[in-house]
Amino acid sequence: MEALRLEGIGKRYGRKPILEGVSLTVRPGEVYALAGPNGSGKTTLIRLVTGLAFPSQGRALILGEDVHKTPAARRHLGAVVEAPAAFYPYLTGRENLRLSAYLTGVKEEARIAEVLARLGLLAVADQKVESYSLGQRQRLGLAAAILHRPKVLVLDEPTSGLDPEGVDLVHGLLRELAREGVAVLLSTHHLQEVSRYAHKVGILGGGRLLDEVALGSREVYRLEAHPLEGALALLRALPQVASARIQNGAILFEGEREAVLKALLNEGYRVEALYPQGFDLMAYYQERVKHA
Amino acid sequence: MLRLFLFELFKLFRLRSARLGLLSAFLLPFLWALAPGLKEVYGLVLASGWQVVSLSLLAGMEFLFPFLVVMAASEALGSEVAQGTLKSLLLRPLPRTLLLLAKLLAVLLYPFVLLSASFLGGLLAGLPHGLGPFYGGTGLGEGGFAGAGLLTPDRALLELLRAHLLAGAVLTPLASLALLYATLFLSTAAGALAAVATLLLMRLLVAFPALTPFLLTTYLDLHLRPQAAGLGLSLLFIYTAGFALLAVLIFRRKDL
Repeated sequence: MEALRLEGIGKRYGRKPILEGVSLTVRPGEVYALAGPNGSGKTTLIRLVTGLAFPSQGRALILGEDVHKTPAARRHLGAVVEAPAAFYPYLTGRENLRLSAYLTGVKEEARIAEVLARLGLLAVADQKVESYSLGQRQRLGLAAAILHRPKVLVLDEPTSGLDPEGVDLVHGLLRELAREGVAVLLSTHHLQEVSRYAHKVGILGGGRLLDEVALGSREVYRLEAHPLEGALALLRALPQVASARIQNGAILFEGEREAVLKALLNEGYRVEALYPQGFDLMAYYQERVKHA
Repeated sequence: MLRLFLFELFKLFRLRSARLGLLSAFLLPFLWALAPGLKEVYGLVLASGWQVVSLSLLAGMEFLFPFLVVMAASEALGSEVAQGTLKSLLLRPLPRTLLLLAKLLAVLLYPFVLLSASFLGGLLAGLPHGLGPFYGGTGLGEGGFAGAGLLTPDRALLELLRAHLLAGAVLTPLASLALLYATLFLSTAAGALAAVATLLLMRLLVAFPALTPFLLTTYLDLHLRPQAAGLGLSLLFIYTAGFALLAVLIFRRKDL
């Protein structure tokens, strides 16, 4: 069963649609990164997934339970929806976590120390949160989110406001949690960072899910052929080609190399070069967003 | 639920408006005890410390206490929205209804704590005038401040306790109303202003005599008319419960 499943979820305010018909799934142990320009609907989607906002259409399921109809579904959910995460400033970091522990049914005091240590916050655990830096608050937010060992983690810009060490710490933690079987959905503008360990990237634009890119399984080839436009049209017509686009005077395509080569030669195109190229997520993202 | 309520209570008394309200309620009796114009305004020459207590109640209930209660109740939710902690709470597997009910219980208790502070301040401020038997009245019973002969401390205390309890009951629907508006607008200032505006509007409805017995504002002086407590308390309870129910219904589907 998918840990997180969105079925045609959408949100509109009055007549204005903010998000339309987004469907996606995140399996246990999978990291799903949401990318998109400002205003594309990332934060709205996060608010819908976590039950903070109610959908105008569709539904969000956490381990099969509708998050908007069953508040108890959130027992499986850990989330940070603001940067920096919000806490009661007059309580210490540890006291804030104790409150979270009470609300999520965590009874072991040792677990609080464990997550504080994991996020590098033990030294400031007994200081009031009002004295924390933005980065410390952000890390405390993550500590609160993982305190009850959630099966689904939803994070809005988890590395926002963090220094490079903090960024590494968070990415390391997310990798570790995914290995432990936690499904992670995060929104980010830092595609290069998350592409190192994310399994899927969802590209949002204009309130729609424009594309889903499965990382790791993408084999991309660079083709230099003449005439270029005609070759592109041919590739796009081939069933063995998943996608094709022009970039810097060449065609980048995903698909079966041999079938492409054969088709090009059969049609009389001059093939000057054809070789594998690492998948450039950032370029792909920019291309998708530009054409949205 | 009890721990949640206690936590809400703890948070409520951390609010600036709630603390400022308690401080004002406690200190104002000292001001009244020293006020040089009591005779001109209230026709009163203080004869007993008990009169300081009742004077503080009467003066406070005119506008200050309702306003303080409305502010605190509105801030109970508005401050959580402003500092972002409401979202953190709603991310937990906690029914929204339960969270709002815990807040509601805390804000419903606040008027009684506020009036206790006023009562305590009044007693302390009234000490120099003595708290023994005196010829006169508390302003809350027979004969007003002039009274009807000798008033024993037991009787004065009883009159004052009854009046403070009734005043507390009068303030509870206001707290509930302010929480309702704070839920609707998710803002302290908007919630408080809307509650005050509603009360002012209700006051204008006295022009419709058929409505008057059912208006909340008709019973804002219930502490002075204990004989009307039967219908008054029932209506105040209905208003409190009605506003609370509306707040719960709104909050259950409110986007954050």
